[in-house]
Amino acid sequence: MTTERPRAATRRDRIEAIDIVLLVIITVWAFLIIIPVYNVIVISFTPQKTYLETPVLLYPKAITLQNYADLFEDGRIFAGYRSTLLILLCGLPLNLILTTSFAYGSSRSHYPGRRLIFLLVLFTMIFNGGIIPLYLIMRQLDLTNTIWSVVFAYGINTFYMIIMRNYFCSLPESLMESAKLDGAGEWRTLFSIVLPLSLPIMATITLFYAVDRWNEWYNAMIFIQRSGLQPLQLVLRAIVIESQVLDSYASADALLEARKFSMGLKTAAVVVTMVPVMCVFPFLQKHFVKGVMVGAIKA
Amino acid sequence: MSQVLQTSKHFQRPRGLAAAIYKNRAVYTLLLPGLIWYLVFAYGPMGGLSLAFKDYRANLGIWGSPWVGMQNYHYVFRDAAFWRSVWRTLFINLGRLIFEFPMPVILSLILNELRMPRYKKVLQTIFTFPHFLSWVIVSSVMINFLSVEGLVNSIVKSLGGSAFNFLGNTTAFQPMLYITSIWKSAGWSAIIYLAAISGIDMDQYEAAQIDGASRLQRIAHITLPNIMPTVTVMFILQTGSIMSAGFDQIFNLSNVAVRDVSETLDMYIYRITFQAPPDFGFSMAVSLFRSVINMVLLVLADRGAKLMGGSGLFA
Repeated sequence: MTTERPRAATRRDRIEAIDIVLLVIITVWAFLIIIPVYNVIVISFTPQKTYLETPVLLYPKAITLQNYADLFEDGRIFAGYRSTLLILLCGLPLNLILTTSFAYGSSRSHYPGRRLIFLLVLFTMIFNGGIIPLYLIMRQLDLTNTIWSVVFAYGINTFYMIIMRNYFCSLPESLMESAKLDGAGEWRTLFSIVLPLSLPIMATITLFYAVDRWNEWYNAMIFIQRSGLQPLQLVLRAIVIESQVLDSYASADALLEARKFSMGLKTAAVVVTMVPVMCVFPFLQKHFVKGVMVGAIKA
Repeated sequence: MSQVLQTSKHFQRPRGLAAAIYKNRAVYTLLLPGLIWYLVFAYGPMGGLSLAFKDYRANLGIWGSPWVGMQNYHYVFRDAAFWRSVWRTLFINLGRLIFEFPMPVILSLILNELRMPRYKKVLQTIFTFPHFLSWVIVSSVMINFLSVEGLVNSIVKSLGGSAFNFLGNTTAFQPMLYITSIWKSAGWSAIIYLAAISGIDMDQYEAAQIDGASRLQRIAHITLPNIMPTVTVMFILQTGSIMSAGFDQIFNLSNVAVRDVSETLDMYIYRITFQAPPDFGFSMAVSLFRSVINMVLLVLADRGAKLMGGSGLFA
């Protein structure tokens, strides 16, 4: 994306009116993206009293950590963090093992059934049974109300698998051949030759899976009813989205609920859910451009 | 090794096949964990779709429940809410093609014209970031920003206007879907166009400049035509998801006030399955309908994209 192409042609240009117009448009657009997020962060550090007194809160007038203290006192966010981390800890290795071994296996040439297996996999990209039969299967396997239902429901992302497979296919075949001549089996070749050469793509896919796992909510909402087990995203949903007060629908209960969960607490909940993604993002960005997109476009 | 291959060719096929399978046994063990996963968690549910033609009884399970033919579909096709949800899905996603789809193209064109590389890098970071937030987070952010007490309404009120409930208004709901979707995804989708732009031959620009073409003319006559194949392919692929796009978004952005305008097909399936006394046979009939339509649309889109010289769906 940030390819440094020779810009000699444009550098000789004079600055035209159009440059200014485009600069203004793009800057406003960028501000429109930042402001809602910035606003959430500002409110989360603002005392409830200041928030209610200030009609337009553009910057933190007074800073407090009270909202975060209230949030953690509530306890649900801790439970959410625990579930999400557990899902990440069990799910991410599963994703990587399944995806890597399958991608490498299907990148090998000349084995009977290669095409058939790949077609079976591609078919899952355009046709799926949906959540209900998956739920029934989880129930049959006795996995509902455990984090394992969420862990197993998302095993291989076929799109990521194909990106990885394309990368493996692009490695020079002669390397694998010579490894084989030296007596290395497929597993040995994978671990000592292919993986060390595939670090960028492995990093990219790992980060993508990690973000996906972090953001998971739908499967958990269907498979896990026990509230103590629900992942962070669902806790956030319960705190912010499900406790919305709408003018025309506000009942006494809803108002009570709304008071209990002040804006400060809600925004603090958003921030603690968002921050880990913010921390991972710079690394993600470094990789996704050259790794994923190039792979996806070229193939 | 080549000797083994040669000899196996002389024998009849089954034996050669067995030998080839044995020779590649390590490959199969590599594939096995993934295959098992696909069979259980991707193909298993597909088997469950047979419930669409069954009367599901919990005590008999998926396989034991009696077949009832097309009976479930009789009920489905007579449900007015079902048809409303189908048309609403088409209507909402048609709007996505018109309002959302051009935004990443426009964004990439503007970013490409930007002359400050440092600033451009910062902007790209800002634009791609929201893609990695879940719709739960994005909705929470938007609810905070757009609700009656939110920043937008605070500014409106302090300027003397009256508050407007952006997310609780039936007319505003659909435009809000497009706006929030552009907010979240335009930057990410722009990457593919930026990649296409960076592949354009610089000579074309220099020649145009010598001929005195203005910047707008260069955008219109060089950049745009050059990325048009990519745009067309992306457009066709987007039409492939016209019956499925946006569940995560609508589910998290909607609320009771906009219930009547937010029930797309996926929302309808969710409601009849999880918010009503469940009739799995009925639900599965709708799900199967949805899956088949989506498959047909995706295959058509894939064909279309390939006809346009693109790479199609499968990377």
